[in-house]
Amino acid sequence: MTPRIRVALLALAGVVLLPGAAAVITGLPPFGATIAQYGERINAITPEARHVANMVSAINFDLRGLDTLGEEFMLLAAITGTVVLLRGRRGEGNTERALRRPGRAVIPRSEAVVLVCRIAGPLTALFGLYVVVHATVTPGGGFQGGVILASGTLIIYLGEGYAGWRDAVRSHWLDGLEGGGALLFTLCGLAPMLTGAAFMQNILPLGTFRDLMSGGLMLVENLGVALAVAGGFTQLFLEFMEETREADELDEPGEESA
Amino acid sequence: MSAILPLLFLLTALSGTAVVLVRDPTRQVFVIAVNGLVLTILFDALQAPDVALSELAVGSAAVPLLYLVALMAVRNQLPGKES
Repeated sequence: MTPRIRVALLALAGVVLLPGAAAVITGLPPFGATIAQYGERINAITPEARHVANMVSAINFDLRGLDTLGEEFMLLAAITGTVVLLRGRRGEGNTERALRRPGRAVIPRSEAVVLVCRIAGPLTALFGLYVVVHATVTPGGGFQGGVILASGTLIIYLGEGYAGWRDAVRSHWLDGLEGGGALLFTLCGLAPMLTGAAFMQNILPLGTFRDLMSGGLMLVENLGVALAVAGGFTQLFLEFMEETREADELDEPGEESA
Repeated sequence: MSAILPLLFLLTALSGTAVVLVRDPTRQVFVIAVNGLVLTILFDALQAPDVALSELAVGSAAVPLLYLVALMAVRNQLPGKES
């Protein structure tokens, strides 16, 4: 494709698409306008119908729970694909040596860093748990809390080094967390059908408004998402970090000059 | 509040442009993290705390880390084959 054709294609696409884009942009409500009608309906109905204070969780896990189920499996598929791709020739093993860039000094970890990480790690994990369990009350939920929990495990790596991190974080447990979380979410959809209700219908007692235990089935679904996201993201970090390790074949000393 | 929002939009535009203008990939990763942080504050100011939390965790922690690791792996594997 020559540059001339590319420019011509760009111009053609612009002529076709720009009027549509302009029409949509001018049709948008002005900045700072009142909440759209759908949002107003949700705000009016959900506190009474679902006893939930955080509308975003109510939409994610109940009103549009099927969408979240789809997203859940998108995440599962994406992480499975990444793991398959990266593990390739390496397998599940745990390589001993880090890659070293030639000519770059290796600076030992200072005690201050270890101390800060040992303080910050548990606090981050605690905050992650807080965000997970308060899904129906305050902003946040399974996804956000799960990512915070996964980031918390990285602080172990920062403070204790790679070997300590791999000792603390077991790959098989992460597989279980990720798959188990997705399974739990799916069961939340299927279990109501056993009682004759619709798929993912909220059949559990709804609890009290603004209480930690509110939202019924949402709590279980939220837990499933948290497990899957925490396990999945940690698995992702782990597989990527393994890429910075020296491959086992290169370990023989004296053979590399060939 | 009225002064904060334009300031945040300006910061978003500046940090977004900076991501493109910084050409060294390693530095670019850190600019992306800063851009994520600015977006987090903007989302929070626009009363979307759920999105802000997601952006904070994914945009300024998870994604930069994966980029850094990928960059390191790429840089080490290219010269590592020859030496």
